[in-house]
Amino acid sequence: MKNILKKMLAVGMAASVIATAGACSSSSKSTGSASATGSSSPVSSASAADTAGASSAGKKATVGVIQYATHPSLDNCYAGLKEGLKEAGFEEGSNLTIDFQNAQADNSNSDLMAKNMVSKKCDMIVAIATPAAMSAFSAARNADIPVVFTAVSDPVSAQLVSSLEKPGNNCTGSSDVLPLDAQVKMIRAFLPKAKKLGVLYTTSEPNSVSQLKTLKEIAPKYDFEVVDVGITNSSEVASGAASLVAKGVDCVNNFTDNNVVNSLPVLLQETGKAKIPVFGSEVEQVKNGCLASQSIDYVALGKETGKMAAKILKGEAKASETPVYVVSEGKPVYNKSVLGAFGLTLPSDYAGAEAVEASK
Amino acid sequence: MRHICKTFNPGTVSEVPLFRDFNLTLRRGSFAAVVGSNGSGKTTILNILCGSVTPDSGEAAVAGQEIVGMPEYRISRFVGRVFQDPAAGTCPALTVLENLSLADNKGKRFGLSGGVSRKRTDFYRSQLELLKLGLEDKLDLPVASLSGGQRQALALLICVMTPIKLLILDEHTAALDPKSSETVMELTDRIVREKRLTVLMVTHNLKYAVGYGDRLLMMHRGRIVLDAEGEAKRALGIRSLTEKFDEISLEAGNSV
Amino acid sequence: MDIFLGLANNVLTEGLIYAVMAIGVYVTYSVLNFPDLSVDGTFPLGACVTGALILRGANPLAACLVSFLCGAAAGCATGLLHVRLHITDLLSGILVMTGLWSVNLAVTGGTAVLAYFKDPTIFNSGFGAALATAAGDWGPALLALLCCAAVKLAVDLYLRTKSGLLLRAAGDNPQYVVSLGKNPGNMKILGLMIGNGCTALAGSVLSQQSGSANIYSGTGMVVMALASVIIGTSLFGRLKALRATSAVVLGTIVYKACLVAAMQLGLPTNYLKLLMAVLFTVALVLRQAAPSGRGKKHVDPTKI
Repeated sequence: MKNILKKMLAVGMAASVIATAGACSSSSKSTGSASATGSSSPVSSASAADTAGASSAGKKATVGVIQYATHPSLDNCYAGLKEGLKEAGFEEGSNLTIDFQNAQADNSNSDLMAKNMVSKKCDMIVAIATPAAMSAFSAARNADIPVVFTAVSDPVSAQLVSSLEKPGNNCTGSSDVLPLDAQVKMIRAFLPKAKKLGVLYTTSEPNSVSQLKTLKEIAPKYDFEVVDVGITNSSEVASGAASLVAKGVDCVNNFTDNNVVNSLPVLLQETGKAKIPVFGSEVEQVKNGCLASQSIDYVALGKETGKMAAKILKGEAKASETPVYVVSEGKPVYNKSVLGAFGLTLPSDYAGAEAVEASK
Repeated sequence: MRHICKTFNPGTVSEVPLFRDFNLTLRRGSFAAVVGSNGSGKTTILNILCGSVTPDSGEAAVAGQEIVGMPEYRISRFVGRVFQDPAAGTCPALTVLENLSLADNKGKRFGLSGGVSRKRTDFYRSQLELLKLGLEDKLDLPVASLSGGQRQALALLICVMTPIKLLILDEHTAALDPKSSETVMELTDRIVREKRLTVLMVTHNLKYAVGYGDRLLMMHRGRIVLDAEGEAKRALGIRSLTEKFDEISLEAGNSV
Repeated sequence: MDIFLGLANNVLTEGLIYAVMAIGVYVTYSVLNFPDLSVDGTFPLGACVTGALILRGANPLAACLVSFLCGAAAGCATGLLHVRLHITDLLSGILVMTGLWSVNLAVTGGTAVLAYFKDPTIFNSGFGAALATAAGDWGPALLALLCCAAVKLAVDLYLRTKSGLLLRAAGDNPQYVVSLGKNPGNMKILGLMIGNGCTALAGSVLSQQSGSANIYSGTGMVVMALASVIIGTSLFGRLKALRATSAVVLGTIVYKACLVAAMQLGLPTNYLKLLMAVLFTVALVLRQAAPSGRGKKHVDPTKI
């Protein structure tokens, strides 16, 4: 009986391997794309392949996309990417197949996905966020596959490019640098009397560390004192937030720190108890309860990346010579209900700021 | 000739004060059987001699070597012990051959040379033949597949393969069926005689206590209540022993 | 077919590298009967030490060796906590894993990722480079095979020595080791050093293969290693012709193959971990159904 079980398992594994071979030897498939809601649809290999074959518009491209984690900014990037590609003539389903993979914040998944895409000879790999970009770069560097990244704050120190102007490797993309000066200016406008600006960040995230440094240089200009609390992983967000509150901060500012952004509700709960407003780094955070933000438009960032990718796909440009597109301007957004809850009024300078409402 | 003294005056205090100024000396080559009620301290004596229990005060020595305070594994180099549980004396997952190879190396360095020496296989085989249990054909079987009696016999052999100063038998037949018990006891006697070992055996079986060995000790609540040697021991019959045993058992029962 | 070969290449390369760690966990978990959770910290330790050394211009092979030694030191720490301070085996591993988090950060200088794409590694310099030119895409897989085979043979040989035999005894019956006149605690420490050394080595090789070191690379490693060991010994342990270490290597490859197959068949990434849990459970059930019936099957590592 047990031997039969064992044999069945062996057969089952063999079958899955054979099925893999069969599935892969036909054209590359498109897996369902995971949107911001995090759900995904099952594979639809046959139909996509068929319609792709039937179309005649231009050359058919396969693009592998690795999104590092489910995260509002990253989801927005992906949405923008598809739009950008579409505007440049690559429409999913007709002349474009996208193999979308979400690494679930797991590095070994990300590595494996990148290697698989290289094995499947995708025409290009697009990576959203730094760890995914590094996996893609590592896997593709010996193949002839260009890598385009987005939402990577410092591609030079990640050794993805030699310099922002001239990448040098077969890798380029777009980078987001937080407009901290504008952000602090906005905070000052919203809270004229605040003195201490609190920051919660993960000590091992290089983006957060460099952003903190920049913030500390900017803060005195606007008469702020920065109080920072470092954490090492997402389970420490609650205690870190409590610690900030205990240090008597008047307001809190977020970076694009993965742990903090993923645990935003926890942070908001702690600060909400002490009636301390939190300023987000991106519009999704404002929708979810932050007071305001000089938000980088990640959809627009994704769109630019999509257009860049399209050019490389068409052969009009080479990745090694395309300079990295750096975005550093944000537009102000604020949350009306949060504003009301804190009894604040919109400062006159920001009368044109966009009001956003909570999602869900 | 060395005179083996095991003098110990432990004043051990557990929940129950067990030993107050306890003394015992065992002569070299002597085979002493110890019987007694539960809690009489007979197992504690063994534990002290093996190093798994430290007395509160007093000394104990084996062949002139002080052992109080020495870690158990170091004492094991010259004190062998066969446990009641057949599984404790051997390694069930390893083969008979591997167990013997390890035992062969006792006291020496366990370095990077080959674990199982094929050359010594013949020697092991001859040793196993002495046991008369058919184990010499089972060298490559894992010990887990042997019966309890076979395992105890093997454990015994493992203990005595290298020279030891004292052999401790801790009710080593208690967990075996009567037939295996007999076999193992006979084996024990034979081996002890051949190798002229000094033995301290704890047993619940009065028949064995009377039938084997040249000294009998009966213990009760940390004191020796009967000590018969040589002639006096031979004169003891099981009946008188049983009566004496009942006496003290009743006493223990009553006092509890 | 081309794509299939490419995927197989990935599976083999990664499987063989992780197999080095699985062999280490086999030594601690199966042979020594010690569930060592510090693997989650030792794996990135190997990666970070390698990254730090290579960025400072060290020879990649030397980096591998130093990583092994660092892993051994971590194993020693776990052993000391358990043997001298009498902390339970599970907790000792957890304590070391927690401590290693800070050690890893210190090694990398505070950042989460160390990239060294341009520096020489065992894969793109020396012998590795020669293999790559000779065998093209299969170069890395071959090099991984060589590493894995070397570690496997070393461990196999060791387990047949007197010291190795004593190690097996210490895992099976510590009292026996005591009666042999040896301290079983020391054997435990030795076994942990070997196991964690192998794990750190695996971390080092993997990091060199991807060209970067990441402190988060250890998350979930202990689960992967244990699953590989158990899948390997369940499925292949019964084959008399196969040594246990080989079974473990095959187990790792099977694990990775299932993972890749699932990804390719379109399983949403969210469910990958569930799949692995299911596979793990099936392997455990199969093992318990073994005719020998013992709860934890000891596969003889020296059987030919």
